[in-house]
Amino acid sequence: MRNIFNEQLEQLNTDLIEMGTLIGQVIRMTVEALVDKDIEKAKKVIRFEDQIDRQEKTIENLCLKLLLQQQPVASDFTQISAALKMITDMERIGDQSADISQILISMAGQPYIKKLDHIQAMANETTRMVFKSIDAYVKKDLELAKEVIEQDDIVDSLFLTIKRELIDLINESTENGEQAADLLMIGKYFERIGDHATNIAEWVIYSITGKHDDIDVTIE
Amino acid sequence: MGKIRNAKIADKIMTIVFYCIALLFLVLLLVLALYVIFKGFVDFKLEYLSFNRKGIGNQFFNTLYLVFLSLLISVPLGTLAGIYMSEYAKQGKITNFLRISIETLSSLPSIVVGLFGYLVFIVMTGARWNLMAGALAVSILSIPLITTTTVDAFKSLENGYKNGSLGLGATHWQTIYHVMLPACFPRIMTGIILAAGRGFGEAAALLYTSGMSTDINWSNWNLTAATCALNPFRPGETLSLLIWASRSEAVSANATQIANLSSAVLLIMVFTFSLGARMLSRGINKKAKGC
Amino acid sequence: MDSKIIINDLNLHYGAFQALKNISMDIKKNEITALIGPSGCGKSTFLKTLNRMNDLEENVKIDGSILLDGIDIYHDMDSILLRQKIGMVFQQPNPFPKSIYDNVAYGPRILGIRKKRELDQIVETSLKQAVIWDEVKDRLHKSALSLSGGQQQRICIARTLAVNPDVILMDEPTSALDPISTSKIEDLAVELKKNYTIVIVTHNMQQATRISDKTVFFLLGETIESGETHEIFSRPKDKRTEDYITGRFG
Repeated sequence: MRNIFNEQLEQLNTDLIEMGTLIGQVIRMTVEALVDKDIEKAKKVIRFEDQIDRQEKTIENLCLKLLLQQQPVASDFTQISAALKMITDMERIGDQSADISQILISMAGQPYIKKLDHIQAMANETTRMVFKSIDAYVKKDLELAKEVIEQDDIVDSLFLTIKRELIDLINESTENGEQAADLLMIGKYFERIGDHATNIAEWVIYSITGKHDDIDVTIE
Repeated sequence: MGKIRNAKIADKIMTIVFYCIALLFLVLLLVLALYVIFKGFVDFKLEYLSFNRKGIGNQFFNTLYLVFLSLLISVPLGTLAGIYMSEYAKQGKITNFLRISIETLSSLPSIVVGLFGYLVFIVMTGARWNLMAGALAVSILSIPLITTTTVDAFKSLENGYKNGSLGLGATHWQTIYHVMLPACFPRIMTGIILAAGRGFGEAAALLYTSGMSTDINWSNWNLTAATCALNPFRPGETLSLLIWASRSEAVSANATQIANLSSAVLLIMVFTFSLGARMLSRGINKKAKGC
Repeated sequence: MDSKIIINDLNLHYGAFQALKNISMDIKKNEITALIGPSGCGKSTFLKTLNRMNDLEENVKIDGSILLDGIDIYHDMDSILLRQKIGMVFQQPNPFPKSIYDNVAYGPRILGIRKKRELDQIVETSLKQAVIWDEVKDRLHKSALSLSGGQQQRICIARTLAVNPDVILMDEPTSALDPISTSKIEDLAVELKKNYTIVIVTHNMQQATRISDKTVFFLLGETIESGETHEIFSRPKDKRTEDYITGRFG
C-alpha cells in the first residue's frame, strides 16, 4: 500500500538526518575555529553554507510535493510538516555559523583580549544542544528533546554573563572596544543557534506527539 | 491482419443480414395489410357498414364493446395481481409456482378456454350466450399478459424510486400508487395493448360464450332489454366470429365480401387502437413527468 | 452539545451473519458525524438502522436500542413517523420521474397537505434551503430528470427537507458527483447543520476532515475509534485507524 509514498517518506527521513549531521559538523568546526584560532576551519565553514542551503531547498521541495500529491493525514502529516519547519532552523544555524566564522576571519592575527571561558562554555553547550536535538529526531526520543529545551536557559544566562564581562572590558580600556564588539556578536550568534536548536527540539516533539505549544488545529 | 479482415467481412455480412430480416418483416406486414385492405374494399358498398342485418356495423360495435369489457375486467385484476407478485409476495417455491401457472394460463389453447367459459359462465349460470361471458373468457387469456408485463415493469424499476419514497415516510401502498405505478405506466400500457389485441382477434374463445348472433335495436336504451346495445348480458357476434361464420356457413350471397370487409376493418381497428393507445400513453407520461 | 441519537449495544444479524457488533454511539445535535471505514464494514447497514430502512429487508434481526430524543425507535415509535423525522439522501441521486415541484411536494402531500399555497411555500423554502431555488425557480414544472447529477442530488435534499426532519442521513451523497457539485453539497451540509443533525457515510477522507465535527471509524461491523474529527485525523489512538486513514490498508 502506498509504496511510493513510503519510499518518499523514507527519503525524507534520510535527507533530514543527513542535513542534521552536516549542521552538527559545521557547528563543531566553528567552535574549533574559535578556540584554536584556526582560520582554515573558519573558511571551510563558510564554504559549507552553500551545501546547507541547497539541502534545505531539496528537502523543502520534497515536503511541498508530498503535501500536494499525497494529502497526508495523521503521522504522515506531522512528519512532513515537522520536517518543513526543522530545515528552516537548521539552515539558520548554518548561516549563524558562517557569520561567526566571518568574524573570526576578520579577527585573524589578533590575540584575544580576555580568556574565553564563558564564550567557550556557551559554544560547547550550544553544540551539545544541536547534536542532542538531531539525536532526538533520529531516535524519536521525547526526553532528549525536552532536555534541549531546558538547556536553552543555561545558554541564555551564559550570554548575559558574557555581555557584562565585555562591557567591563570596554570600560577598562577603549582599545578593547573593537574586539569586544566582535566577541559580543559571536556570543549573540551562539545564543541564536541555541534558540534554533530549541525550535528543532520542539518540532521533534511535534513529530512524535502531534502536539506543539504554538499550534491549535481545533475547528471553531 | 487476415483475422481482422475476416472479422470485418463477417461484421458487414451480418449487418446486411439483419437489415434484410428487418426489411422482410416490414414487407411482410405491408403486403399482408395492403392485401387484406384492398380485398376488403374492392367491392365496397356503403350498406355493408350499416348497423343492421345487411351490414357489419353491429359486429363492429360488439367487437369494441367486448374489448372494452374485457379490459375493464383484466386491467384491474391483472395489474393488482402483478403488483402482488412483485411487491408483496415472499420469494419462494409457492411464488415461483404461481408465476409459472400464470404464464401457462396465457398460452392455453383458446378453444379450451372457450369451452371452459361455456361450462362455467353459460351452463352453470343457466344464461344464454352473452357478451359478458365472452369478455370473461377473453380475460382468462389476457390477465396473465397484463400481470406478467406489470411484474416485469416493476422489477425493472430503479430501486432508488422505492427507497426514496419509503425514506420520506410513505407507506408501501403510497409508494406503489404515487411513484412506482406511474413510473411503470408506459410498460404496463404495452401489456394492455397486447391484451386488447387478444380481445380484438379472439374467435375460438368466443364461439361458445358470446354467441354467433346479434340483434340490436338502436332505439332501445333500456339496459335490461335483450336488444339494447349497451346491455352486456346479450349475445353479440364480433367481427372475428363474423369472418368465420361468413366463410364457413356462407348463407348470404355477398358473404365473401362481408368477410373480406370485416377482415380489413378489424385490421384497421387494431392498428388504430395500438397507435392511439401509445399516443395517449405518451401524452399522460409527459404530463406526469412535466417535460 | 445535547445528544440527538443514542445507540446502545446494537447488534444486527443478516440470517446467520453478524453485520454489526455491539455498537454504542452518541450522536450530538446540530453536528455532522462522519462514518468512515473500508467497504462492507457495516457503515451503510448501520446508517439504515437509524431510520429503520432495514425493516424492509428479509431475515434481519436487530437487538440493542436506538433512542431518538429519548424514545426507542424500534419499540416505542412508528416507523412511518420515524422516517419523517429522520430523512435520507442516497448515493445515487434518485429524484422521482416527476416534475421538480412534484418531487419536493411529494413528502408534504403524503402528510396530507393539499392547499396549493401551503405547498408552494414549502417547495420554495425547501429549494432555498437546498441552495437550488435560483437555478430551478423558472422551471419547477419541468421533469426533475432533466437536471444534472449534482442538481438532482440537491433536489433530493430539498425533498427530504420538505417534510421537516430533525436528522438527515447521507449515504455517500457525493461519490457519484463531479468536484464542483461535491463542494456545493459539502457547503450545503455545513450550512444545514445549524438547524439539523447530520450523519454522513463517506469514503472520502478529505471530505470527512472538511465538514464533519465527529468521526467514527468502522471495521468489520465494529466501531474501532470515535472522537473529534481533527483528533482522529491528526492523532488517531488506534493503529488500525491510523493505517486506514493513511491509506495503508483498505
